[in-house]
Amino acid sequence: MPIDAKVVHDVAALSRLRVDPSEEGRFVAELTAILSYVEQLQALDVSGIEPTSQVGEGATTPLREDRVTPCDVSEEALGQAPDRDGDYFRVPRVV
Amino acid sequence: MTKEAHGGESAESIGRSVLRRERTAADVAREFLDRADRSAPRLNTYLHRDREGTLAAAARVDARIASGETLSPLAGVPVALKDNLCTRGIPTTCGSRILEGYRPPYDAHVVERLREAGAVFTGKTNCDEFAMGSSTENSAYFPTKNPWDLERVPGGSSGGSAATVAALEAPLALGSDTGGSVRQPAAFCGVFGLKPTYGAVSRYGLVAFASSLDQIGPFARTARDTALLYNAICGRDPRDMTSRSEALPVPLEDLERGVKGMKLGIPRDLIGEGVNPEILASLEKVAKTLANEGAEILDVTLPHARYSIATYYLIAPAEASSNLARYDGVRYGFRAGEGDLQSMYAATRGKGFGREVRRRILLGTYALSAGYYDAYYLRAMKVRTLVRKDFEDALSRADALLLPTTPTPPFRLGEKVDDPLAMYLNDIFSIPASLAGAPALSFPAGMTRSGLPIGLQLVGRPFDEAKLLRIARTWERRNEDAARVPKLAAEGA
Repeated sequence: MPIDAKVVHDVAALSRLRVDPSEEGRFVAELTAILSYVEQLQALDVSGIEPTSQVGEGATTPLREDRVTPCDVSEEALGQAPDRDGDYFRVPRVV
Repeated sequence: MTKEAHGGESAESIGRSVLRRERTAADVAREFLDRADRSAPRLNTYLHRDREGTLAAAARVDARIASGETLSPLAGVPVALKDNLCTRGIPTTCGSRILEGYRPPYDAHVVERLREAGAVFTGKTNCDEFAMGSSTENSAYFPTKNPWDLERVPGGSSGGSAATVAALEAPLALGSDTGGSVRQPAAFCGVFGLKPTYGAVSRYGLVAFASSLDQIGPFARTARDTALLYNAICGRDPRDMTSRSEALPVPLEDLERGVKGMKLGIPRDLIGEGVNPEILASLEKVAKTLANEGAEILDVTLPHARYSIATYYLIAPAEASSNLARYDGVRYGFRAGEGDLQSMYAATRGKGFGREVRRRILLGTYALSAGYYDAYYLRAMKVRTLVRKDFEDALSRADALLLPTTPTPPFRLGEKVDDPLAMYLNDIFSIPASLAGAPALSFPAGMTRSGLPIGLQLVGRPFDEAKLLRIARTWERRNEDAARVPKLAAEGA
């Protein structure tokens, strides 16, 4: 499907990303160029080929003891918040 | 020894002299900080430096030595850190506005390991935003300049780390490599850059970009120094489930054992056309030199490697679109917008991320979205299997592969900034090893007639970093340009 301003708009909404209308044209052109480049993969026969999601997945997953380790950084972590209320992160009204 | 000469000194020699108490870590730190004070403002190598903090850390190392503690060969050695490695209480922005002012509450695994070893951090180096780019021009703050030619890019995304080592502002630096982000800037800046085997180094505390590809890797000015820094960070860490105990330190004496009887494969089908003739000439020269040292040179093929860029630019953005979902203006960093929660998310991310990052999030979200997943993402993961098998076949015939790191010498600032696809195509020789998860080392091979660095690349079998460093060390001993430094560094800026 060709990329147009509506596709950019819809994908931006899925990505929770505001795209300024003045930028839509450039994103359309760039994404079209990249997607037409990646079309070359359609020419390959990949039937019967297993996907690689990550290399080294054949190794057994190492297990560790389920043990509590200290992690007393709540003040440092909360101190980074753009908006904080006591021990909570505050966000704009949801309902 | 003159003050200026110390900058060109190896990390190995600095660490040895500090351990022998011939000089203090604080003295070493002061020399490198002074040098960086002169050149860093012209090169834009750093996003964050803290002179007092660095000197205090060096003084702590001196106190540990004075108390009789046994430290590693990196004691008192200055190390620069890419700004996507978390440092407790020290700004970590990933070159992005969305993390402006962020001070992580913890250290990355590699940062912890280096602190224990007695290394001293010089600062946080500039990079393309969230490590997405090949020129460091995508930093939200400023572009870094190439120390060999201030009108050219240092490469990227770890451009600040490569440039700071090339300019003798630090003997060592860490970067991260997802599709070439250590090797390509190493080549452009004339230094060594190692992308370890996938799983060799814990990524705990490395800000995630594309998790099936990301690796942390060292920059250095010699093969032995590259091994020293790799040795300090490799191995299993329970906090990164992909990290593996097979990743063992490389004994430095092994690097001196030469290449006699080794088989080196050149993938001529991938190298093909369009590569700069001076880089090709350099490849032949290095191959001939290694043949004279007793290596056997053979041709190998990587028939699917030419599909690597297309594969990578589906897989990496898809993973990035998921990893970057955490930047939402709630817990840290930048927040924008009025109104409800959804508007706040969209405004924060729209303003906080730069163009390249937004383009890749859009591309990745598209490639993963309903109706396109099979055609794009799943197909790319299958082609990735074909690329991996190419490397397995080639590396069953050869001990290592030799190829260029980049098709061209460093390009000019601004040259590719408006053409993302042209920028991506520059990664043709670095991306294949990333998809295969194989270790890959870029090493300085010489200079162009106009005085720009040329880097070549070695790719090896999983967890065989030692062999790559040994081959590069053998060439380094024969490389007439090995001691060259940029004019800016030689003049003390």
